[in-house]
Amino acid sequence: MHIPDGYLDPAIIAITWAVTIPFLIFAWKKTKTTYNHATAATLAVSSALVFVVQLINFPVAGGASSVHILGGTFLAIILGPFAAMLSMTTVLMMQAFFFADGGLLAFGANAFNMAVIGGLSFFIVQLLMKKSAGRSRFASSVLIASWSATVLTALLTGLELGFSSAFAAAGGITLTVPTMFSVYVVAGLVEAVLTAGLAVSLRQWQPGVVLGLKLLGRRGEL
Amino acid sequence: MKKNVAMVALIIGALAVLLPFASSNPDGLENLISTSGAQPQHEPFWNGLMSDYNVEAVGNSYLSAFLPGLFGTVMVLLATFILASSIAPKKKNANQA
Repeated sequence: MHIPDGYLDPAIIAITWAVTIPFLIFAWKKTKTTYNHATAATLAVSSALVFVVQLINFPVAGGASSVHILGGTFLAIILGPFAAMLSMTTVLMMQAFFFADGGLLAFGANAFNMAVIGGLSFFIVQLLMKKSAGRSRFASSVLIASWSATVLTALLTGLELGFSSAFAAAGGITLTVPTMFSVYVVAGLVEAVLTAGLAVSLRQWQPGVVLGLKLLGRRGEL
Repeated sequence: MKKNVAMVALIIGALAVLLPFASSNPDGLENLISTSGAQPQHEPFWNGLMSDYNVEAVGNSYLSAFLPGLFGTVMVLLATFILASSIAPKKKNANQA
């Protein structure tokens, strides 16, 4: 879901950069107050895992199309919302710079769609776990957060492309939004099940790794 | 430390095993772009060092896809470790949770 260069209008590029940069600056400041050096390895390893899962596309829509896991909610559960934004932004930066996967001008849009939305999905988990912190509540919260983040990312991508003149002749948002939604509403389920499964397993077997969980109980520090 | 090295080995192993099974079909966004007939408004000014995760210089198709994946994994590890070290230098904040 990495938007390449050439398809977004300059105004959309400017708006998405203008919205994304303050989020990343805020994320940097919040992360600096919350994290210690011991978390560096967790951040690096979980980012590498997300880079690899984004390489593995699986078929959808009868094989006509394919999608990959985004991993934003997974990072948010492992690292907390703000470190997840920085982690995903770094992954996207490497993808754009080394592999031209996502444009450099479109980087603001891609970072917002995948890094910021992925990080913010943490707060859906937090909201849904207000009343109970049980395993099934945790699993369903992560499931809903992950699916919502994937679908919202797809919708935003559809809107950004649909409002750009490259897609005007094809129908603009009346084409891009339903197309993106129809693919990722299903793909989001796969992502949600995998993310919830992995998050529950880590919580069970390696709770020390799941830094986001610790932050769930310390809302004042977020 | 050992646990993290094992995790990295596991991630690279998963990449090596799963890569041949990855779908080569265009992803949802690429499919939208190609089927809609949308034309880029300008050519991209940067095409990456290994465009589309492929090194054409390598004759073997598996290695052509695996080596960029491996390279990218190492680069992400390095970049995010540097990022984490900048966020929280080793000595500073050492006693914070």
